[in-house]
Amino acid sequence: MDMKNLINDAKALGADYFPMFLRKPAPKFVTESGNPVFGIVAEFDETPKVFKAAKKVRDAGYSKWDVHTPFPIHDMEEAMGIKTTKLPLMAGGAAVTGLCIAILLQWGTTDWLYPTVVQGKPFDAWQPFVPVMFELAVLLTAFMCIFGMLALNGLPRFHHPLFSHERFCRVGNDRFFIAIEATDPNFDPEKTKALLEEIGGTDITLIEDVS
Amino acid sequence: MTQIATKHPNHPAPDSTGLSDADWQARLDRIASDPRMSEDNTTLSAASASRAAKWLFGAGIVGLLVTLMGAFTNGRHALGAFEVGVFTVLAISLGSLFWVMVFHSLNASWAITLRRQFENIASLVWVPVVMMLIVAAIEITQGGVLLQWLGYTGKEYNHLLEVKSPYLNTNFFIIRIIIYAAIWVGISRVLLSWSRKSDETGDRMLGRKARFLSGAGIPLFALSTAFASFDFLMSLDYRFFSTMWGVYYFASCALASASAVAIVATMLRRAGKLDGLVTEEHFHDLGKLVFAFVVFWAYVAFSQYFLIWYANIPEETAWYTNRQQHGWQWLFVVMTMGHFGIPFLLLIWRKTKRKTMLLCGMSVYMLVMVILDMLWIIRPMVYMNTSKADPGLAMIWLDIAGVVGVLGIFAGLVALKIPKSPLLPLKDPMLHESLKHKNYV
Repeated sequence: MDMKNLINDAKALGADYFPMFLRKPAPKFVTESGNPVFGIVAEFDETPKVFKAAKKVRDAGYSKWDVHTPFPIHDMEEAMGIKTTKLPLMAGGAAVTGLCIAILLQWGTTDWLYPTVVQGKPFDAWQPFVPVMFELAVLLTAFMCIFGMLALNGLPRFHHPLFSHERFCRVGNDRFFIAIEATDPNFDPEKTKALLEEIGGTDITLIEDVS
Repeated sequence: MTQIATKHPNHPAPDSTGLSDADWQARLDRIASDPRMSEDNTTLSAASASRAAKWLFGAGIVGLLVTLMGAFTNGRHALGAFEVGVFTVLAISLGSLFWVMVFHSLNASWAITLRRQFENIASLVWVPVVMMLIVAAIEITQGGVLLQWLGYTGKEYNHLLEVKSPYLNTNFFIIRIIIYAAIWVGISRVLLSWSRKSDETGDRMLGRKARFLSGAGIPLFALSTAFASFDFLMSLDYRFFSTMWGVYYFASCALASASAVAIVATMLRRAGKLDGLVTEEHFHDLGKLVFAFVVFWAYVAFSQYFLIWYANIPEETAWYTNRQQHGWQWLFVVMTMGHFGIPFLLLIWRKTKRKTMLLCGMSVYMLVMVILDMLWIIRPMVYMNTSKADPGLAMIWLDIAGVVGVLGIFAGLVALKIPKSPLLPLKDPMLHESLKHKNYV
């Protein structure tokens, strides 16, 4: 992933929330009616089929795509080639931040700015700092875990273009879907459609991004 | 019209599998035909194990001889060094017993392929128990070497010893040791024998029985371990008391045993055994246990220290002030960083837990830290209340000899125990789940 794509993604995400400040980047593909293309979706009716198809999409080099299923499928992340999340690293950073804040807050107030004798203990005794150090580290880690997760997966959102696809309702019941997004650098309306056909998808549909 | 209640041919047996006899037989056949379950992969030859055992016994005997030599010049110190080894080994085997019972009572399927090693180590609990009996015999016949309260006769009135005498007295001490020994040796041998029996018969009810025994055994284990640690470790200073003490020793038990099994499993994998049966997924979970109890130990150790430090009651604080001088304060730093800080940062990485050799290295390191923990508890008491000054590092050869002696003998016996049965429970009701175990996070 290069820098340009990353900036474009950030802009598009920002435009969703602050349309008054940011304008959405021009879409690469538009339909005849002028609406931007969200992507192409294909339907599958069995778990093994969608599992094998996901591997082929992965091998074709796509990165911005998703599999939608009624239930979790084990090893799907491997079949889709999803890399390990960066969230633990972010949470670790938050933990260190919390630790430092706690040390500064307590040492700064009780030893440096306003030394106070409490229970006859030394000013710089580290023992009473530890519970607060632990609590603040855990608190910031928990915040980073929940808000970092939301930031990384782009939630919450009010609408998703796939919901405009009538048949997509069956994803909650008995159908599996693979959706390849138009923002993928490898996306090409003809070639992507051909690929989805080749890997056994049915009811292949182009989805407009109407918002 | 009368109805006769007959057993339905497909009626499931009342065990954890919920399968009919025919389905159970089919599953056993399927597992037996698995190429990973070949004879060569699941058994260790006695010859290769005894080669390793020879070296371990050699080190152990040399260590014990050196300790015995030290005993002629300085009996207290030699006994202290021996006890450090004994309580490390007791922690390893008692922790294994705990894990076996937890696996049984929680129906833990992932651990099945590792469980036999836990059972092997747990069933060797008689080794530290015998050594504990030797320690107790020396203490009682000498009228209290390290356990000073054993020598209290009431001639010189001592208020604390007087009020504690209903618990801290020789007869009750002997009775308690016998109860501990009966509980530990009894439960561990029964669990191993049932596990071995199910290898031959494939009887599913044995798993059910083991589960029942484990449910009763965990509270028994908890009480006996806690009270044993009170009797031998906390009462080294009869003035001192801590309500966290039992948990503190238990934390070392769980940590040391998970580390020991990680080492044993790594050795077996290096010997080309258990290929595909104990995978990096199993090591990952074992590493999680090690990591969890590194954190748990720190939590318990700090809680104990913190409350005593804050409350500042002389009887309790003396235990820590004795360990804040004569060089023991450096061990305090080593324990905070080495027993918690460094392993926390290293074990938190997924890779450390999944790479077999990395986890093995960490486990050896953690065992060293558990030994230092026992040293931290026992060793400062050797020269406490005596006219002699603590020689510190000058006598470290005796401490090392005691630990190496006991650990060498125990490790040698473990090496001899492993080839006596298949390396995993071959017909466990949940084995099929352990064979395909995978961590999705």
